[in-house]
This record gives sequence, structure tokens and C-alpha cells, in this order.
Amino acid sequence: MPDGLEVRGLCKRFGGIVVADAIDLAIPPGRILGLIGPNGAGKTSFFNLVAGVVRPDAGRVALDGRDLSGLAAFRRARLGLSRTWQNLRLFASLTVLDNLLIGTRRYPAERLAALLLRPRLVRQSDAAARRRAFEVLERVGLAAFAHSELGRLSFGQQKLVGVARALMNDPRCLLLDEPMAGVEGAAYGSIQSAVRALARDGVAVCVVEHNVAFIRDLCDEGAFMFAGRVLARGSIADLIADPRLTELYFGT
Amino acid sequence: MEYLYTILMLMALSVILAASFNFVIGYGGLISIAHPVFYAIGAYVSALLARDAGVPVALAIPLGAVAALLASLLVAVPALRISGDYLLIASIGFQLGVLEAIKNMTWTGGAGGLTDIPALFGRSTGHAVYVALAIVLAAGSVLLLRGITRSAYGRAMSALRDDELAFAALGRNAMMIKLGVFALGAGLAGLAGGLYAHYFRFLAPDQFDILQSAALLTIVVVGGMRTVWGPVVGAVVLQALPQAITFLDLPPSVLGPLQGILFTGLVLVFMFVRPAGLIAAGDLWRGAAVPDATAGGDGAGRA
Repeated sequence: MPDGLEVRGLCKRFGGIVVADAIDLAIPPGRILGLIGPNGAGKTSFFNLVAGVVRPDAGRVALDGRDLSGLAAFRRARLGLSRTWQNLRLFASLTVLDNLLIGTRRYPAERLAALLLRPRLVRQSDAAARRRAFEVLERVGLAAFAHSELGRLSFGQQKLVGVARALMNDPRCLLLDEPMAGVEGAAYGSIQSAVRALARDGVAVCVVEHNVAFIRDLCDEGAFMFAGRVLARGSIADLIADPRLTELYFGT
Repeated sequence: MEYLYTILMLMALSVILAASFNFVIGYGGLISIAHPVFYAIGAYVSALLARDAGVPVALAIPLGAVAALLASLLVAVPALRISGDYLLIASIGFQLGVLEAIKNMTWTGGAGGLTDIPALFGRSTGHAVYVALAIVLAAGSVLLLRGITRSAYGRAMSALRDDELAFAALGRNAMMIKLGVFALGAGLAGLAGGLYAHYFRFLAPDQFDILQSAALLTIVVVGGMRTVWGPVVGAVVLQALPQAITFLDLPPSVLGPLQGILFTGLVLVFMFVRPAGLIAAGDLWRGAAVPDATAGGDGAGRA
């Protein structure tokens, strides 16, 4: 039985606004799901609920059969849930490489006790983390910028740093929040190939994106969200062709 | 000679206090100005253990530091669970409360102060060894904090300051780091307190009040927040220069206010001339140099 990400009956309302209305959504390992819908449909709220940033009123989130409900965001990340942010949220005081190192999964060098008592373990884990970071940077084509400040990178390259940082966690499920917003040129292909490689390794991927071409190129299937509900699920082509959904997307 | 020892002692203690406070507020980004209360707890616990419980002074001083560390967790755990901003209020409340308690209990010496605190060394070894010990501990504290801030832990502190939400989403426990930083800073302040108590052998609660908080904050800001050497320079300069006029042989009624004016004047001059601190912090976090074994010569690219 495939596990991956499983969401059941997820509900959340802020006062009178319903951002999640009994959402059921499953993404098996290795699948790339595009989440589409107009602004305000609840796509980013859905990510926040799954990642543990916002507490749901009801419902259950599980990853590879493990119930994540009630766990803090950092614990969910440790269990293999990674995400990127629509508005980057990179660490401005750190270089590209150091931004990635913060994402390192299991990093004893970052523990105070180990730092003071086990210098060898610290050296080894530091070296391993840097090796891994350079691997990931290589994969997204940013190795030359490892020691650069973020300000020297284009917006598209910074988006790539965000994706690369999320990959340092060796995720089992990756949530990408508008990876293409504001991105042009070379980053397009880099993000596509990085995400595809991840899916080949059995990671469940969910992408929120308004760039239809990007979604159509990348995703195995799509889900259409409106007013906190998943209205339809199917191939991206079918969802786009559905006049009912198009009308909801553009409003009347 | 005795006077020189006193100044050196005060400088060494200021260095420990300023470096540890900078660790909490500068590097940790934890807004709390109640640092002197942990200095007080270290001083009083150590003094009382040695004087009334018969604990050897050499053991009482580290126990005072541990007491300050534990007390800091008592404030930080509930305050940080609510929100980071709450720490400022809670810690000031804690500072006022502890000092008020000290003033109103007999076994702490009350408002009049705690006297007859045992010395660490007998008269024969004298103050020179004690001052040397304090300087060594001050240097050790600065180097310890320098090592931490330049390690992976320091990198995490920097990232946490930048964006706590993104930090947590990467599997990092922000609460644990904040508690660790706050507790370590308070523990070092407690160590300074114990050293103070057994050197001057007299403690009064007013030494640790909110004015002390302001002076300490001034030292850190003038010296250069979020730098390793800024608080050291700030502590030495602002501690030493006002003392220098003591040699002018002025009557005490003039000397005290004049020292105050000198301290404030220095602060104003420094803030005009070097608004980012005597030593200015860079925008970018810098770790200890690590040989880039993996990147095939790429390591040389770091400017």
C-alpha cells in the first residue's frame, strides 16, 4: 500500500472565512501533484496546515503512514516534510552555502553539548553536511555561488536556493509554494529537473503555481481548489479544459 | 596597588557580563535587559553557600553560576512559550522581584547588604592571584562564546534571528536554541557574580538594579553589538576611563558625579563618532574557517 502524504477531513476557519473545508487529498510517493485555483482558494493555507504552521480545527495529516497531527512544524520537518515559501524566507545574514547547511538533516555539529564535548563528531558532521550541500548546489546549478551573499543572486536564483535548502532535509514529501512566481530564464529548467529527480527518488511533491505551462510540464496530475475545497482532481489538461473551473478561476 | 587590583577585577567582571549579555541580546536576538539579576543570583547564592552552609568557596562560585543558569530557565521557559517579546517584560519583573525579595529578607542581609563573605584565598596569597584568575576566566568566557558563535550552533542562531518560521520549517527547534543561549548567558553572569562576591566580600541589592542593566546595555552597544571584541573593548574603556580621574584627588562629593558625567559624555561621543559601535558588526555571519575539502579549490573564493 503506497503511503506518501495523506490528508483527511482537514478543516480550518478564521472567523467567518473558511480556508479548509474537509479537504481530502493523497499524494503517493513519486507523484507530482499540481494544486491550482484562484487567489484566496486556500492553497497556501493548505500548505501551512500540512506543515504545522497553522493548527487545524479538525482533520488528520499523515506522512508515510505516520500521523503528524498535533506535531510542531519542526517535528514534521524532521519526519521528512519539507516546504518552500512563496516569499522566499531565506536567511539574509547567511551565504548561499550557509542557508543550505541550516537545512541539513540530523546535524550533530549544531548541538551545544556536542560542540563542547565531542569535537570529532562535530568535525565529521560538518564535513558531511558541506559535502551534501555542494551536491545539492551542483544539482540546481548554483555551486559557483556557494559563498555568495543572497543579494548578489537574481530572484530566480534565490528561489532555487529555497528549493535547494528544502532538499537538504532529504524530504519524503515536498511542498512547493509558487516556485515560478517572479522567475524567468534558466531557473525554470533547473527547478523542473530538480523536482523530477526528486520524484524519481520516491518523494511525494505538491506544487502550488499559477504558471500553467510550468504545471503542465511538470505535474502528473492536478487538483483544483476553490473556497477551501478540492473541487476536482485529474490530469492538468482536463482541469484546464473544464469550462466550469475556468469560470471559477477567472471569476465572472 | 590594591586600587589597581580593584580596577582590573571590575574590568574582568565587566568583560564577562558584557560578553555574555551580548551573546544573549546580540547574537541570540533575545530582548531582555535583566542580565544583572543573574549576576546577583550568582553572587548571593555563592556568598550564602560559603558563609552560612560551609561550602568551600571554590565550589560555591560554580554552584552560584549553576543557580543563575537554572533561575534563567525559570523565567525563559514560560516567557518564551508565549512569545519572544514577552521575555523583556517577564525578565524585568523577575529582576525587580528578586531584588525586592533580597531587600526584605534577613538571611540575605536585607537592603543594608550582605557582609562577612568568606574570601577565596587567605591573606597570604592575596588579591593578585584572585585577579589573575578572574582575568583568565574572562578571557575563557570570551573565547568560549566566540567559538560557539562561529560554529554551526552560531550559524543556527543567526538563521533563527533572521526568520524563525523558516528556521522551524527546516526541522530546527527554535525554543531549545533560545533557552540554551539564555541559560548559558545567565550562567556566565552568575559566574561573574560569584567572583565578585568573594573578592569584595560585601553585596548590596542596589548594585544589581535596573541602572546596572542600562550601564551594561550601554557597554555592549558602545562597544559593538554582535561582535566578539566589541563588548570587551566597551567594558574596558567605559570601566577604566571614569576610574582614571580618581587619581586627581578630588573630594568624593565631586568625584562621583564627575565620573557619571564622564561615562555619559563618553557614550555620547562614541555614539556620534561610531554609531555602529567601536567595533562594527558585519552584515554577514562568518564561521570559523573550514577547509573546503569537498569543493576542489572553491574554498579560496571566500572574500
